[in-house]
Amino acid sequence: MSRGFSTIGVGHPRIDAIEKVTGKARYAADFSLPGMLYGKIKRSPHAHARVLSIDAEKALALEGVKAVLTPWDVPRVLHTGAPAPRLGSLRADQLVLTDVARFVGDGVAAVAATTEEIAEAALDLIEVQYEILPAVFTVEEARRPGAPLIHGTEGNLVMPPIIVQAGDVEAGFAEADLVLEATYHTGRPSHCYMEPNACLCYFDESGTLTIWASTQCAFMVRGILSEVLGLPLHKVRVVVKHMGGGFGAKQDLYQHEFVCALLARRTGRPVKMVYSRKEVFMATKTRHPVSITLKQGVKRDGTITARQALYVSNTGGYASHGPGITAVGTIDMTSLYRCNENWRLEGRSVYTNAPIAGAFRGYGAVQSFFALDVQMDELAEMVGMNPLDFRLKNAVGEGDPSPSGHRLRADALAACLRRGAEEVRWHERWQPPEVKTGRVRWGLGIGTEMHSSGAYPDIKEQSNAILKMNEDGTVQLLTGAADLGTGAHTVLAQIAAEELGMPLANIRVVSGDTDMVPFDIGAYASRTTYVAGSAVQRAAAELRQRLLALAGEKLGCEATTLEIRDGEIRRQGQVLLSVAELVRGEGGRPAVALMAQATYEAKVAYSFAAHFAEVEVDTETGMVRVTKVVAVHEIGKAINPLGVEGQIEGGIQQGIGHSLTEDLVLDPETGAPLNAGFVDYKMPLAPDMPEIRVIILEEAPDPDSPFGAKGVGEDPIMAIGPAIANAVYNATGVRFRELPITPDKLLARLREQGETDTA
Amino acid sequence: MRPFDYYEATSLEEAVSLLGRYDGRASILAGGTDLLVEMKEGLRAPACLVNIKRIPGLDELSYTPGEGLRIGAAVTVRQVERHPAVRQHYAGLAQAACQLGSVQVRNRATVVGNICRASPSADTAPPLIADGALVCLFGADGTRTVPLEEFFTGPGQTVLRAHEIVTELRLPDPIPHTGQVYLKHGRRLAMELATVGVAVSLTLQDEICTRVRIVLGAVAPTPIRASEAEAVLEGRSPDSTLVSMAAVKAQEASRPIDDVRSSAAYRRQMVRVLTLRALEQALTRARQEDSP
Repeated sequence: MSRGFSTIGVGHPRIDAIEKVTGKARYAADFSLPGMLYGKIKRSPHAHARVLSIDAEKALALEGVKAVLTPWDVPRVLHTGAPAPRLGSLRADQLVLTDVARFVGDGVAAVAATTEEIAEAALDLIEVQYEILPAVFTVEEARRPGAPLIHGTEGNLVMPPIIVQAGDVEAGFAEADLVLEATYHTGRPSHCYMEPNACLCYFDESGTLTIWASTQCAFMVRGILSEVLGLPLHKVRVVVKHMGGGFGAKQDLYQHEFVCALLARRTGRPVKMVYSRKEVFMATKTRHPVSITLKQGVKRDGTITARQALYVSNTGGYASHGPGITAVGTIDMTSLYRCNENWRLEGRSVYTNAPIAGAFRGYGAVQSFFALDVQMDELAEMVGMNPLDFRLKNAVGEGDPSPSGHRLRADALAACLRRGAEEVRWHERWQPPEVKTGRVRWGLGIGTEMHSSGAYPDIKEQSNAILKMNEDGTVQLLTGAADLGTGAHTVLAQIAAEELGMPLANIRVVSGDTDMVPFDIGAYASRTTYVAGSAVQRAAAELRQRLLALAGEKLGCEATTLEIRDGEIRRQGQVLLSVAELVRGEGGRPAVALMAQATYEAKVAYSFAAHFAEVEVDTETGMVRVTKVVAVHEIGKAINPLGVEGQIEGGIQQGIGHSLTEDLVLDPETGAPLNAGFVDYKMPLAPDMPEIRVIILEEAPDPDSPFGAKGVGEDPIMAIGPAIANAVYNATGVRFRELPITPDKLLARLREQGETDTA
Repeated sequence: MRPFDYYEATSLEEAVSLLGRYDGRASILAGGTDLLVEMKEGLRAPACLVNIKRIPGLDELSYTPGEGLRIGAAVTVRQVERHPAVRQHYAGLAQAACQLGSVQVRNRATVVGNICRASPSADTAPPLIADGALVCLFGADGTRTVPLEEFFTGPGQTVLRAHEIVTELRLPDPIPHTGQVYLKHGRRLAMELATVGVAVSLTLQDEICTRVRIVLGAVAPTPIRASEAEAVLEGRSPDSTLVSMAAVKAQEASRPIDDVRSSAAYRRQMVRVLTLRALEQALTRARQEDSP
């Protein structure tokens, strides 16, 4: 760009900040309609059970109860629940209400009543007869011969194993001086978005369904509701206003969205459903617990010669994104660190009777990079290299293959490592664990990641934007991209303002009403700035051209000699007239109606990061405190640096939780979650947060993206986990190949090591 | 939440008579920070709530030298935490109060409520027992006082009779040269329920421990005194060996359970570590404290 930017590259508070912090912003559960009923779902207390019969007589007799639905009253259409059109990675295995419960909390019946309290009381009056079936909760149990088959698939596999291979792995291992094989395990964190799943449904007099929903993918919700309810797309309208988070889980539909629509159809009244926090924990999604057996060979000079891995995910009672995260997690192990392009990687996803695992920020790659980056530390030690130097030697760079099949365009990972090392004064401060002594020990560790902006080529990425010029010089930006709390709409407005040459205040974002805005596949995969932003930029460029052509006509000069800045038409710096004057009606002539639309089909861009975590470990209690994180992210161009910092800080907070305290624990006998609430599911809070230093690098702007910008949404959560695990090792000499690192486990391991006293 | 009747009592007599009228199906509402959550989650469904916050005198929080501290049933945890006399004379209680829940919770929750809920992990119970608190009760048969140490009978269980309410807690004025400490173990720094809590109140005269109280929270059905650990130090001049021995005795006194918050084995180990640290800190405080 030859000129300086006016709106992008500068930190802007979110355009919806005031309405949110004053409590005026409305979320799905805030909408109500006259005559509205409240819906509730009856959930199975058994992890695996066949519903033999349901007696709703007593519930229906309760005053205020208007309808009860059973599995036999609803369309028996198997659907995927996970609506993204991912190539070959979906399994239609869910029903609106199930007659075979496959996890504790699976919905078997539903009720609508005049108040929430009556609906709840009615649930207790619905009598369900179950035939209890044997249940399995771990992959080991589910894969055992003779294990109950949860969906009738062989060995409880969700899909055939994914095999990714290149080069000659055996030759690579033969060439190595040292070979390490180890198994890494990740936990079962929950998304913990603030806004619980909620919706309000009603059918109008034309038979059109309107659903106010909290979803990352309004058009996908429309599509799948249309399919299951048998309605054409133009008779389903999905409205999404503000969202209080999603982190991937709100890509999926849940039972309430179908049930709510069906209850509204049955009763002829609007119906609202809001999940309790307990329901959110037990009946929405978790991250996939994954075990990765990773084998790598390394030469004494630090060259990695081959990589072999088996990635096995526990997807719970339904497939959801099991195939997708397994594919991504498997393929992503071709990246991050070179291995002479010798790899053999296999991915399996397994059904169990655990809660459903789904899409979650970092989508399968979090688990892979945890294994890879912890093993990088182990290999460095084996060959006697400093962990930083070993990473720099092997970091992928320009010309190396990427999971998408494209060759990388820059050495951005090494740049992140170098910048972070300089910031933490690595070579001055890092010392091996052997020299650490004392009750509280300090450690420093590195974690790295790379992530594509958008899910191409798995998903044919596409976004659209429409810009509508108003007669006073303001603009409506119509986008289908949701802002699930990420600040995406602020970024889209900034891109439009920059491209148009208008003040940010002149742009209003209109989103989340499928009747009004153009199609968008959804907000996930760190894609909104990159894909939706590109569509906005293209639409804005077209609108700018039309404005300039109109101005040229009016002023009697060549449009190419004109430009728009600060909402004014200028020639060689001289203001000729304002955009408002250009487009307004004059002398009885109506205003000029200008509109521009653009579609963008993205390719792929990669963002990179290196996190340097400092921890203090109390060797008497096993408590780990993260005291400082230096987070270096290469993202091409920060459209809104304030928002980028927020994303990174939030990802670190979430990642600290997943590394140290957060885990949905299941009763090994019943499979019921033991901590389905914020009392015992422990997210880190403000006092637990470390000092965070965010460093944004803009070394490798993407040529196809708005102003070079790449995604950042998922990146921070991927690098922090291995950084913490490696820092704990650096502090104590205790190597954790699993998450979360809990105090009791750490203390036990310290004792095994003979490290701590026993009075 | 199920429907319920609601009263704002203006006298102790009225509150007690309402409890009688509902015969065990009424609950006292003061802070409500446990009660309302449990009602919303369907764990409790009282037919009636009796709000006692309008009863005159229950909001009293006062310290009188020579007599001690009085904490009325409507006094919030936050008031206790911020009271200068509590900070000066009841440091363990102050430490416990400022680690209970969050500031928002402490602005609502009452200390007496924390006691009446009788959770084994109640933060304020161990330091209150260590300081020798008395519980004042009012019922249809008049008033009585019970040492807090004898108040709890099990998780959620107390000696409180039906139709009886706690009106206040009384704490004696601490003996000079007393060091008080409360240490809490949890997974994070706020909004945490103790996996182990240890309170120590220790009086040192001429380097001899004349009075030692070691009270453990969250490691038995009720908060418990570690009497054998106290006996290790009482009447003796404390050194690091004795302190370690006392910590081991405290560990032996604990009877924790395995649950989702922690394993029993880990809790036992933390009893030792925290008792050791609490004793060391209490000794330092006792030595620092000048006689008034």
